[in-house]
Amino acid sequence: MHGRAAVVGVGESRYYKRGEAPDTEFQLACTAIRNAVEDAGLSMRDIDGVVAYMERNEPVRLSAALGMGDLDFTAQTFGGGGNGAGAAVTIADAAIAAGYAECVVVFRSLAQGQFGRYGQSGRARRSRGAGAFTVPYGMQTPAQICAMQTQRYMYDHGISQDSLAEVVLASYAHAQRNPRAIRYGTPLTREEYHSSRWIAEPLHLYDCCPENDGAAAIIVVSAERSRDTRKQPVAIIAGAHGLEHRDGVAAFGEAGFPTAHHRHVGEQLWKRSGVSPRDIPVAQFYENFTGPVLMAIAEMGFCEPGELNEFVADGNIRWPDGRLPINTSGGNLGEAYIHGFGNVVEAVRQVRGESTCQVDGAELSLSVSGPGYAPGSAVLFGTL
Amino acid sequence: MAALPAGWGVPELDATNRAWFTSGALAVQQCASCGVLQHPPEEVCHQCGGTSFDVNVLAPRGTVHSYTVVHYAANRALVDAVPYTVVLVSLDDAPHLRVVGNMEGDVEIGMPVVPYWEERTAEDGTAVLLPQWRNARSEPGASRS
Repeated sequence: MHGRAAVVGVGESRYYKRGEAPDTEFQLACTAIRNAVEDAGLSMRDIDGVVAYMERNEPVRLSAALGMGDLDFTAQTFGGGGNGAGAAVTIADAAIAAGYAECVVVFRSLAQGQFGRYGQSGRARRSRGAGAFTVPYGMQTPAQICAMQTQRYMYDHGISQDSLAEVVLASYAHAQRNPRAIRYGTPLTREEYHSSRWIAEPLHLYDCCPENDGAAAIIVVSAERSRDTRKQPVAIIAGAHGLEHRDGVAAFGEAGFPTAHHRHVGEQLWKRSGVSPRDIPVAQFYENFTGPVLMAIAEMGFCEPGELNEFVADGNIRWPDGRLPINTSGGNLGEAYIHGFGNVVEAVRQVRGESTCQVDGAELSLSVSGPGYAPGSAVLFGTL
Repeated sequence: MAALPAGWGVPELDATNRAWFTSGALAVQQCASCGVLQHPPEEVCHQCGGTSFDVNVLAPRGTVHSYTVVHYAANRALVDAVPYTVVLVSLDDAPHLRVVGNMEGDVEIGMPVVPYWEERTAEDGTAVLLPQWRNARSEPGASRS
């Protein structure tokens, strides 16, 4: 699988605060896909595969509206969160490698101003299945779930509140250089972080991803075909998505609690790619909430959990001088929350040399998706 | 001393969760084939694949494994309930089994807790008993040691 497929186009809609998009979510999806196809220098008729995750906008409508070619492959992943972003890229990679499709668009569109807000829950009158053991207690939103994981993780490993802040401050600092970012021009101080209200302890307001409207897309083709496209092709070196036995079972029942569900993902990714965390110069860690980012950094093998305070302190995860700059577009927190697909686009841009916080000579670029939810996923991009 | 409004969230009873939500005890599912305990209860045993289960009542004692104090009401029905505390309790008889519940007052990881049962009634009249938790040290007759 090493580099058999490559990303040749990336595109986004404009990103908006929740409720401010003048276009419908479907129109935002179409815009992102058009922009990615144009970026690749391809024709919409070239698209023969569509892959997404948790997506409302189906290939039937999209292909009709956009004038895609005949579709040979469509797929969507399991899982209830941004954990599907890397998984979707991996599925496209597999489809290309298997020959089921030649030109696959992978995308996510999400307009929380037009549909349900992820930070809210429905009125819980009856709770079924796994929810019967949590929802009656007012434990139902992602923030609450990740707060429960983070609280124990901080206790077990002596993680400081300031280390959660470091993740936020890195994203906001990077967003100040990215005109696409919703938080462009709106920096955040450490004091503002610490004085912001609690959402669910130990998560402050700024530990939580915003609710936004927008869409992002990439185009994946075979490495062979990528040589004819407009921009520098970016190889999918390896992808991984999966879970350990009982990872993510109901009501925090997994043996490894608290976990970001990325231990197995990390092991598989490094085994498949033949590289190790110390080879990685830049990474995008999906920030639903800051706690799971720290957990994922350790579970992916960048440091031991007890070393996290030091790993993220003193600008170590910030561009340009940090040893591992993360979320260099501003990420979900600072750029926009498009369910983590912006992180995938940014990982590709780093290899192309197009990031607004460009790490010099980034020949490898990691994107880790959806910590806190199983199955987790990750993709390693690199030069072809 | 319910933390949440009376009409909030009633579990829908089914074959796997009925004992847990109606017995007024920590009635944990136990595989009839291999004896493993599993909670929340499932339709298939995670250890041997068995589909026949017994109920094993564990001692009413636990330890706070994690918690969160929820300040943001994710639904309008909870606006007057915040802040409320959700605890994840490890059962002393089987520490790998964890139970989500509510708790009032101060809370910290490692705190010994004991359950009590809160009755909630669904719109169709079905009554359930939800395990909730309180600090074992503040129980009447609790040891001061």
